[in-house]
Amino acid sequence: MKLSSIRKKQIVAVSGLAMVGFLLAHLSGNLLLFKGPEAYNAYADFLHSLGPILWVLRLGLIGAVLLHIIFTVLIVKENRQARKDRYAVVQDHRNERSLAVKLMPYTGFVILAYIIIHLLDFTFADKTTIINGVDYGLYGLVITTLRNPLHAAAYIIAMFSIGFHLSHAFQSVVQTFGLSSEKSRPKLMLASLVFGLGVALAYSSIPLYVVATFR
Amino acid sequence: MAKDKIINVTLKVWRQKNAESKGHFETYDAKDVNVNMSFLEMLDVVNEDLILAGKSPIAFDHDCREGICGTCGAMVNGYAHGPDKAVTLCQVHMRSFKNGETIVIEPFRAKAFPVIKDLAVDRRSMDRIIAKGGYISVKTGNAPDAHATPVQKKASDLAMDAAACVGCGACVAACPNASASLFVGAKVSHMGLLPQGQPERKQRVQNMVWQMDSEGFGNCSNAYQCEAACPKEISVDNIARMNRDINRCGN
Ligand code: HEM
Ligand code: FES
Repeated sequence: MKLSSIRKKQIVAVSGLAMVGFLLAHLSGNLLLFKGPEAYNAYADFLHSLGPILWVLRLGLIGAVLLHIIFTVLIVKENRQARKDRYAVVQDHRNERSLAVKLMPYTGFVILAYIIIHLLDFTFADKTTIINGVDYGLYGLVITTLRNPLHAAAYIIAMFSIGFHLSHAFQSVVQTFGLSSEKSRPKLMLASLVFGLGVALAYSSIPLYVVATFR
Repeated sequence: MAKDKIINVTLKVWRQKNAESKGHFETYDAKDVNVNMSFLEMLDVVNEDLILAGKSPIAFDHDCREGICGTCGAMVNGYAHGPDKAVTLCQVHMRSFKNGETIVIEPFRAKAFPVIKDLAVDRRSMDRIIAKGGYISVKTGNAPDAHATPVQKKASDLAMDAAACVGCGACVAACPNASASLFVGAKVSHMGLLPQGQPERKQRVQNMVWQMDSEGFGNCSNAYQCEAACPKEISVDNIARMNRDINRCGN
């Protein structure tokens, strides 16, 4: 089946939105860390108790990640080919920093690297963390991992990469589906920036808290 | 009468013999430039000197020189159609530049716009997109009465805004991906908004978008550089409209 450039963009947008959905759910779960080990581990146990449902969600997420990567790689390749001869001088015609859009492939790449590290840290790790004879489980694993300031810093950088990615992406999705207008666009751009920054800050609160509290 | 201001500028101009050759920048001094000259008149004067010196003049596209035909265009100091807002290159005047300034002049660069010579590029890729749907099929005969087909004021205004596109290609030139989405969006909207454009609306958007894709233009990343570069200030709402129209009709 032939897909137009617009359809390809829509696949990027929908898969991106699916990941945003995950991102918000994941955030709300992880903020339980502030409530302490019981609440946090109970949430993890609840997720694992979902069994097959959890696997459906996981497969959906994996599918979204794969689709997003495949189609963005395709799109970016086509875009580069569309201007092989570069300009010697080129200015931003909008006279405002549109750095986020230029950096989409790079913030995307940082996110991908982060996803791999993140899965190795927590998903594919042994989740018994015995401290002074008590097993703190997943909560303990998160604390011992993020207590390392370098590790925490890497997480924070990754979270701001996601935030930056989303600061362009959020309003971009609305335009890709043709739902923005001259009137709403400036507001959407602002909302997009606030959303991206909000996600970055909310997630970053976790490593910051761990580093500050468990030295 | 007060004397006109005179400036000297240095030009760094892209010179390329033909589509096959590599091309490079050459530096020229433009001396005693009257600031009331248009940018293209300044190039004319530089070209006269080049011809007198037995060199080949700088090739650049132009026709009406009054901002309505869409033939002119080049990247000037990194801006499509130069640094002024909402004008074509022929409407830029030398008062927009400072005495002693170095002005970098390059052709519109895109795979779909191969260089013909120097600053002149082949934009027939846009003509081929128009050929795929930039028309309406009507019965010929006497002109119908002006009020035979009622058109809503809002639709008529938006269609006129879209129809202001002169097809210069600045949107492609300014787009980081060399996408033609604003051009195609404007053409699709211009007819899709009017009652006369309805019968062919679906096939029009599909065919024009497919032609755009096959010409080697890039994809739209919603960077909105096109709207800012457009000499006719065509809104990216037209891209949104094209995106909606594609959703109504398949692929
Ligand atoms: C896994 C690594 C990732 C890579 C390589 C990547 C790459 C990209 C690129 C290059 C674009 C811009 C495409 C264009 O030029 O139009 C993009 C757009 C987008 N990305 Fe990502 N990304 C990644 C992860 C994510 C994540 C984790 C999320 C959400 C949480 C996300 C959400 C989005 C959204 C919503 C868009 C905008 C779609 C649109 O313009 O309509 N991406 N991505
Ligand atoms: S020469 Fe006609 S628009 Fe510039």
